[in-house]
Amino acid sequence: MTAPLPNPGKKYDLAFARWVYDNVNGGDKLAMCMQCGVCSGSCPIGVNMDHGPRKLFMMIRAGMQEEVMTSNTPANCTSCYRCVVRCPRSVPVTYILQDLLAKQAELGYRAKDNHENIAFAKSFWWSARAFGRTDERLVTAKYYWSFGPAEFWKRSMENLKIAIGFIKKGRMHIGMPHSVKDKKGLKAILDKAREIEQRG
Amino acid sequence: MSEKKRMTYYPGCSSQGSARHLDESLRSVLPEVGIEMDDIDDWNCCGASVGHIGGGQLPNLSLTGRNLAKARERGTQDVITGCAACYLNTHGGNEKIKADVKKKAQVNEALDAGGLKYDGDLKVRHVCEVLVNDVGVDKIKEKVKNPLTGLKVAGYVGCQTVRPFAQTQEGGEYDTYDDPNFLDDFTEACGATAVPFQHKTACCGGSVAVMSPDRTLHLIKNILEDAKQAGADVISTPCPLCQTNVEMYQDQINAKFGTDYKIPVVFYSQLMAVALGMDPEKDAALQRNTNSSEKLEQLAKRKG
Repeated sequence: MTAPLPNPGKKYDLAFARWVYDNVNGGDKLAMCMQCGVCSGSCPIGVNMDHGPRKLFMMIRAGMQEEVMTSNTPANCTSCYRCVVRCPRSVPVTYILQDLLAKQAELGYRAKDNHENIAFAKSFWWSARAFGRTDERLVTAKYYWSFGPAEFWKRSMENLKIAIGFIKKGRMHIGMPHSVKDKKGLKAILDKAREIEQRG
Repeated sequence: MSEKKRMTYYPGCSSQGSARHLDESLRSVLPEVGIEMDDIDDWNCCGASVGHIGGGQLPNLSLTGRNLAKARERGTQDVITGCAACYLNTHGGNEKIKADVKKKAQVNEALDAGGLKYDGDLKVRHVCEVLVNDVGVDKIKEKVKNPLTGLKVAGYVGCQTVRPFAQTQEGGEYDTYDDPNFLDDFTEACGATAVPFQHKTACCGGSVAVMSPDRTLHLIKNILEDAKQAGADVISTPCPLCQTNVEMYQDQINAKFGTDYKIPVVFYSQLMAVALGMDPEKDAALQRNTNSSEKLEQLAKRKG
């Protein structure tokens, strides 16, 4: 399991910077960041982000843990890897943001204005673990349902035309979910992996 | 490449849903250009862009571990996939298992619970890289029986097909991250015309476009507008999620921005199947596109 935040609630805490270096995938490369801003400038939906990667990385170094752990910057990463290939200091920006989002989810933090990514990821993983496959139809339905019946209905209606179009073209699976044959073996592997990760 | 090569094929989950036409056309085209495909037995999901958030880093990496352990049962032949996310996770995960002794041990401890093991001795490759480096664009051109003369194609590469591995040694060094040419080369090999297309590696929004379209519809609009300005008859792409996103959201984009896009978005492998003179439905799977291209259908009707 990821080590808990060193001093939760403290506004500036340099122990938080060290926690990120030690616990976040790619975090050990954060010291290489020279604040040039190529990452934030390359980002396709950087305008949706409260801070953008460049500023967020400086906030990590300054130990602004509550601000970082409730930032919506990680949740707005589309995984386009533009920043990764452009960074002149080889900071793995996408990997860091993606794992920060995983850490937000794991430690019970959420971006102030965005609960969608974590809800989507949980629906997605449910299908991956239960069937060993992504059932696009069930993942979408479960994801919509995670916001309650009213939102489920609203989003389903908004996308009904797309769904019908896909069914007509044979691109939305109908019937029992596709699944791996060895569901038991797959679950045993994933549960063991979780156990190893929690053991640390 | 003169003789046939056998490779282990990882279809990925979209092959059974939204991107059946990528899978169907690859299964027709690849053997025709000398690549015989053996599916990974009982393959599982790769984890895509969000598996590590929902399930954790090591469980997510173990998905790749299981696939590669199953692939290894077929021997040491290269593993190929046509899906951008499958490639990103499986290639990236494989390189991590090779480089990080601790991760390799942890993955194998997990795999052991399912009676599997993986030593990190396989190579995971994108189908496009194989077409460029092993088959060769000239070989594809030689095989063309039904050139797509007059069809104007905007080559939309997207993100994860080329980023972050296309310029690395392990990724086959087959093209650049910002301005790749391979897709236009495929288009021209098929006898069609590649139009200038600025947005070739712009992001469609990826999984964010699926979970919250409002955050990313403008990105897809930019891609469509560029293709329209370039006079493209179709947009061609290698990526399952790009194909789905750019195709399915056109009505919602038209409603939001007052536009009138109805641009067909196809896979490069569908164009290849038509150009190779194969069956328009069985091989090129043209019937699976929600926006069809009359020009392409006419070209396809001449053969097949």
